[in-house]
Amino acid sequence: MNWFYLSSPSTFYRAAGHLAPWFFALAALLGAAGLYTGLVVAPTDAQQGEVYRIIFIHVPASWMSMFLYFVMACYAAVALTFRTRLAAMMARALAPTGAMFTFVALWTGAFWGRPTWGTYWVWDARITSELVLLFLYFGFIALANAFEDPRRGDRAAALLALIGVVNLPIIYFSVLWWNTLHQGSSVSFKGTSMHIAMLWGMLLMALSFWMYSIGTTLTRVRAIILERERRTHWVRGLPR
Amino acid sequence: MRPHEFYVWMSYGMAALALLAEIVALRVRRRQSLRRIEEERELEAQD
Repeated sequence: MNWFYLSSPSTFYRAAGHLAPWFFALAALLGAAGLYTGLVVAPTDAQQGEVYRIIFIHVPASWMSMFLYFVMACYAAVALTFRTRLAAMMARALAPTGAMFTFVALWTGAFWGRPTWGTYWVWDARITSELVLLFLYFGFIALANAFEDPRRGDRAAALLALIGVVNLPIIYFSVLWWNTLHQGSSVSFKGTSMHIAMLWGMLLMALSFWMYSIGTTLTRVRAIILERERRTHWVRGLPR
Repeated sequence: MRPHEFYVWMSYGMAALALLAEIVALRVRRRQSLRRIEEERELEAQD
């Protein structure tokens, strides 16, 4: 595959249009399987009862919030280094979905915390650093749109994205570095302490959110390409 | 699920709402972009 060919906005616009519906379909299928596994197949937790089922949304949303930020920062680095238009547009397209997943992670965490810890919110290291991530996403979006010239907005937002990367290891290792209320990871590359059905439910939901993120990013980048390239011949030549 | 039903469904409900809101926002943005292009085409045709 010729990647330079795909890095042209006009080519990528068409490719993204073909691919996005497939990713949405995959997200729906995996989401249905994940919800069935999480809400029907997975057994009740011995300590937390049914409320633990929030993790099938909370954990995948938290993973995606960090993963999407990392991918966004990678695109920002490429955009800054090579001055490629498409990389900057991809970084912009990822930010709202990342912010949405960060919000969902915080919200579901609060609704898990109330019956489990007795409070919706606590200034715990993991939760506070996740909130900082949400503000980083908001800052990126605001900065990217704060300039008349979108390329200046791209560069300023890319810098912020790169600086904000330092927050990712803080979120991940916060439960080890500080004495936090938030529990440590139940899943790692070494194995898991969870029931297999719980693990599958979580992994299926994570895959579903991943596919959804690709679908929304491709759809959003198409809109950004149209906005940026609207005076070019190929956009003017698009069928009405 | 009875004792903690509220917390579970508030979580799932908000997640569903957030995903749905994003999809609607995407459709609106695309429609606005296409409308803008169409308006510029018409302005050019008038000139």
